[in-house]
Amino acid sequence: MKILVPVKRVADPDNANKMKVTADGSAVTSEGLAWKVNPFDEYAVEAALRLNEKGGSGDVLGETVVISLGDDEVIQTLRQPLAMGVDRAILVKASDGEIDSTVVAKALAAVVEKEQPDLVLMGKQAVDGDSNTAGQMLAEHLGWPMATFAMSIEVADDGKALVVGREVDTGVLTLKVTLPAVVTVDLRIVAPAAVKNGVTPDDHAYNEGARYASLKGIMKAKKKPVDQTSLSDLGVEASPLVEYTKYELPPARSGSATFVESVDELVEKLRTEAKVL
Amino acid sequence: MSQAQNWYKADLREIEFLLFEQFGLADLLGQAPYAEWGPDEVKMVLEECYRFSTEILGPLNQVGDREGCTLVDGEVQTPSGFDKAWTALYEQGWRSLAVAEENGGQGSPLTLQAVAEELMSGANPAFMMYPGLTNGAADLIAHHGTPEQVERWAQPMFAGRFGGTMCLSEPHAGSDVGAAKTSATKVSDGVYKIKGTKCWISAGDHTLADNVVHLVLARIEGAEAGTKGLSLFIVPKRRLGEDGKVAGGNDVTVAGIEHKMGLNGSATCTLSFGDNDDCLGYLVGGVEHQGMRQMFTMMNYARIGVGLQGLAVAGAAYMNALDYAKDRKQGSSIDKWKDPTAPRVAIIEHPDVRRMLLDMKAKTEGIRALIVKLTTHQDRSVALAGRDDDSAAYHKGQVELLTPLVKAYSSDQAYRVAETAIQVHGGSGYVRDFPVEQAARDSKVFSIYEGTNHIQALDLVGRKLGQAGGKHAQEFFADVGKFVAANKDHAQLGPAVAQLAKAQEAVGGAAFQLLGWFKGGEMERVPLNANRFLEMMSEVAVAWLLLEGAAIAVEKLADVAESHPDRAFYEGKRYAAVYYATNVLPDVIAKAKMLQLGDQSAIEIPDAAFATV
Repeated sequence: MKILVPVKRVADPDNANKMKVTADGSAVTSEGLAWKVNPFDEYAVEAALRLNEKGGSGDVLGETVVISLGDDEVIQTLRQPLAMGVDRAILVKASDGEIDSTVVAKALAAVVEKEQPDLVLMGKQAVDGDSNTAGQMLAEHLGWPMATFAMSIEVADDGKALVVGREVDTGVLTLKVTLPAVVTVDLRIVAPAAVKNGVTPDDHAYNEGARYASLKGIMKAKKKPVDQTSLSDLGVEASPLVEYTKYELPPARSGSATFVESVDELVEKLRTEAKVL
Repeated sequence: MSQAQNWYKADLREIEFLLFEQFGLADLLGQAPYAEWGPDEVKMVLEECYRFSTEILGPLNQVGDREGCTLVDGEVQTPSGFDKAWTALYEQGWRSLAVAEENGGQGSPLTLQAVAEELMSGANPAFMMYPGLTNGAADLIAHHGTPEQVERWAQPMFAGRFGGTMCLSEPHAGSDVGAAKTSATKVSDGVYKIKGTKCWISAGDHTLADNVVHLVLARIEGAEAGTKGLSLFIVPKRRLGEDGKVAGGNDVTVAGIEHKMGLNGSATCTLSFGDNDDCLGYLVGGVEHQGMRQMFTMMNYARIGVGLQGLAVAGAAYMNALDYAKDRKQGSSIDKWKDPTAPRVAIIEHPDVRRMLLDMKAKTEGIRALIVKLTTHQDRSVALAGRDDDSAAYHKGQVELLTPLVKAYSSDQAYRVAETAIQVHGGSGYVRDFPVEQAARDSKVFSIYEGTNHIQALDLVGRKLGQAGGKHAQEFFADVGKFVAANKDHAQLGPAVAQLAKAQEAVGGAAFQLLGWFKGGEMERVPLNANRFLEMMSEVAVAWLLLEGAAIAVEKLADVAESHPDRAFYEGKRYAAVYYATNVLPDVIAKAKMLQLGDQSAIEIPDAAFATV
């Protein structure tokens, strides 16, 4: 099947503690931090690659395309999924100030109209803004069925539908979506047996996590096409609805430890002081 | 299986600085012979290879140390997880960076292979012995083998289907390779029966790959004594059928494996060839008596590789010590030494701990710069060959000159850096819960194998200094001189550069002294002082490169915003250089004085006077 995977670049989440806020609180500065693919989006890339390959054989079953919004630098971030095995990339040129989830969802909808994928597979949220809205809005714009927080995906009905296990507070909610559809993934989608496409042999063991970009993949990535378009080309107005008024860092952790004499005392303190029970 | 935990950490910013800001790797990229490579690919390789190192190799480092290797039914069993790591390594391609495209590689600059090697060896030096020896042996066959040998043996080795080793030492022939007794008896053209015993064979056997291809130095019947009578043979653990597939045994036996101080995950084997008179060897390139010359191609790269191992383990130990020093609280600040209630501080606040940390930082970064300098010289010599042969020769000459420095200085210092890292940890460094005691044990052998560091010192004073009529050394000192001239009045680095100038002069004087002894027939004074001389010259080289990096950093600092992390990075470069120039270079001058004193006690003392028992 043809799968479109929207990815967002985020400041290196492994060094999130180095993030700073400007003195007036008007912006977050992440200068000097490397840009990385949002981890949930990287899991979506992995899941898309697993859906579109006969695992272990090198056979590819369909086209996988990544898309992102941003400036020219984003192309470097897009090389990562290309090096993992994605076929091509699309960059919608836009500046950070022009976009929020609503604009992103409209732009993605416009691209979907053009590309006609069978599935849009994306991270449940980006780890910088943690909004968790773009996928839902996109499904609404398209009028497509949607399944969020996917922790397992199985191709069903001869490829006309997906059975998706959704991670919810009470357990796993399994539902079937007819394609085309929008699916957003949670981190367990990269467990070794989370994705079943009906072609990869059941005994094929995937590693836990998103795959590494191999050396060959990295060298091939440079030659893969990155199509560029813009918000105006897509007929999308750059008018974000969300307005950010102020940023502040979370309070520093005190790092102090209190020793208690008994379990009862611990429970008491957790209840009254820490207020976590 | 021991608990698998990764302790490895590297500062990729530092590596990128060396590649792109100090040694100009970008000039070489995007054009022949590195046309496929750009800075973006290099950065991606570093990031992915680092991820591979910390996620796959690092967690197996303590596992390999604790489990070690065992001999089961005549074959070496490597520690748990090594087989999967081997498969992942070759699937992901990290062994084929600088391998030629016709042999399935990506033809990257050697420099990229080298920095990737540091990441992988730093995460797990013992594991990396197996693919390291394999590539070395495959490279040799690719250089000197017949086209048929390249296809049949080297290509499967580059792909990780076969392993490889180099077999020089014998029970009575270690540093004295020419005493080797292993014999070769001609069976047919290019095919010989091999008989003999080889020892200290690193990665000498394993089941990570389908086969292990040994490169064995042996004497063809009737050949002259000494190194000139040695020929080199491809001696596989298993013979191949016509189709290139493993077809059966070749009378190669693992007679035993060593129980060692460190690098326990790497099997060091005694190998017996031809116990049943049925061991076939294939003459490399079909030429007789060229064994040492052929082996030297491999040995030069292997020596750079050992320098990299030293850097890798030292770099890892430094990072571990730094993390520990930031985390461990003990004692109060020296400013409040009279107040017993003063708050406890992280030990990184104690002056002596800071001294140790900066000492390790300066040494590891200086050695890294020395290695990257060497490899970029190599890459430039390759890129310029045929276009500008004079420049290519200059670069090749620097490679020759720097190789013994890289091997010996890096491996000597690795052990000392590991020792310092233990000291920073205090008692915790001495126990196995922390990784630094393993770093000390693992790194000790680097000064011993691949030509002991005394062999390196002899290579430097006996061969490299006078090579090409002394041209390589003169060019090296001229390069240092140019830097000194350009920076002696540097606002921030001037005093440190003045130290460099004095130390360089001292090394020049020492070189003349050695030459005088040579010419004056006082031969024994040369080996007596060779190690010291190698150290002096290495220290000048390292100080120069640290200062060169610092000069670049100081210039860049002017344009870096206060809040940008590069600010601290560049300041670190400056402090490390000033520290090294001020705390190490005066020793170079002192060592030159010691040379002048010409003390002969070690030569003159009678054997019986060493001890009465």
